[in-house]
Amino acid sequence: MAKTIEIKNFSYKYPDGTVALSDINLSIEEKQKVVLIGPNGAGKSTLMLAMAGFATGQGEIIVKGLKVEKKSLKKIRTVIGCCFENPDDQLFMPTLFDDIAFGPLNMGFNAEQVKIRVTQALRTVGMEAMAEKAPHHLSAGQKRAAAIATVLSMSPEIIALDEPDGSLDPRNREKLVVLLKNLSQTLIIATCNMNFAAAIGDRAVLVDKGRIIADGDAKEIMFDTKLMTEYGLERPAIVA
Amino acid sequence: MHHAYIDKFAYQDSVVHSLDARVKFIAAVFFTAVVISLPRTSFAILFCYTVGPFAVLVLGRIPLKFVFKQILLVSPFILVFALSCPLYDKTPVKVSFGPSVFQTTVGWMRCCAICGKFVVTMLALIALVSTTRFSNLLAGLRKMGVPKLLIIQLGFLYRYIFVLIDTAQHLLRARAGRTLRNLGPKQEMKTASAMLGSLFIRSIDTAEQISIAMHGRGFNGNWRTISRLKISNNDYIFGVFFVVFIISLYFFASTVLN
Repeated sequence: MAKTIEIKNFSYKYPDGTVALSDINLSIEEKQKVVLIGPNGAGKSTLMLAMAGFATGQGEIIVKGLKVEKKSLKKIRTVIGCCFENPDDQLFMPTLFDDIAFGPLNMGFNAEQVKIRVTQALRTVGMEAMAEKAPHHLSAGQKRAAAIATVLSMSPEIIALDEPDGSLDPRNREKLVVLLKNLSQTLIIATCNMNFAAAIGDRAVLVDKGRIIADGDAKEIMFDTKLMTEYGLERPAIVA
Repeated sequence: MHHAYIDKFAYQDSVVHSLDARVKFIAAVFFTAVVISLPRTSFAILFCYTVGPFAVLVLGRIPLKFVFKQILLVSPFILVFALSCPLYDKTPVKVSFGPSVFQTTVGWMRCCAICGKFVVTMLALIALVSTTRFSNLLAGLRKMGVPKLLIIQLGFLYRYIFVLIDTAQHLLRARAGRTLRNLGPKQEMKTASAMLGSLFIRSIDTAEQISIAMHGRGFNGNWRTISRLKISNNDYIFGVFFVVFIISLYFFASTVLN
């Protein structure tokens, strides 16, 4: 399968000098559903930000054949759609319609094309009737789905989600699992919820202290009790 | 967390809710200008003007309790100003109210006029905000040529004021949960300043995250939106009613009352 993302010897330090990522080598293939797992502060979110060009360090990141650098950022951000941990940061417009239309409008689509994309994205997340709602009128689960719709409307080939299951109750988490499983794009999900990760991922990358500890089949990694315990994680409760 | 949104009734469905935001905004501004320009002695005609916003509120099914609560909430600001009038203008004046005539001062007349005009214009403002979604109001203002930068700022303000209130309430709750005795004004001040600092840092953090989210969706400094506002026949009918109402009151005031 073709490589969608290729990371070679990538390292990143925070402005205060703390090492966030150290010598990361990772390649992700098309249509894969990859879960980045690891304890809090492991570097999962930073790795995701780096893939979309929000954290530039040493080494090389190639997304769909494009090297992540300043001149290619515009193109890269149409290829990789990022959904951040707090949906309130993602939903910044007065209505859901405006929020979902924001990306396609910046991509240069005309009003009619944008309306079609907004409708399709809302349909995918099951929120067709809520286009005119203000984001602060939505529940936590709806906000999460709406945040995903904001990137779906841009038709990215890769969707990166940072802790998408955070603060969701089991019913909304289940809905999100169904929604994500049905997406055809390459998925990269950073999470420390092993049940959620096991329900979606077909490949797991265990990150700790900015390094990749293990990379392989999701079930093999996540059901390795010793490995999970060693890195402060837990074996998923669901049956493999 | 649940907040008392200023436009909490704006999501209802009624004839006035369906009117274009621009039409309602222009009507509200014009109505306010007319009411403010009324002579301070025209209490009777001022009272007649309340019919307009009341009709909109009733048609929009806005609870009057909510309306008066909103007026009371803002009233302290205007009351301070109005109640200072009798202090500096004590010129005596005779006022006739129906068959009875009584003596007062120009200051008190001015105070009553300010309060009366405040209530009537607030009614119009609440009628506008309660029947128009804030997003539509912003889109309408943008269409009418209000600078884009101001619209963006208002949009962000409305979107994130509730997030900020939530954060502040979480901080206050966390503080209350650990405050078991009175710490004295010095310590309280210290705690309050630390909380304000924390709120400030979180705001900057949120702003950075929003900026990342915007750039992640292709934002390059140009703010693009799609306007979905449309003038319909109902808007024209409302416009005609409004003009007839204002003109009728003008003639009523100039012929019957004077």
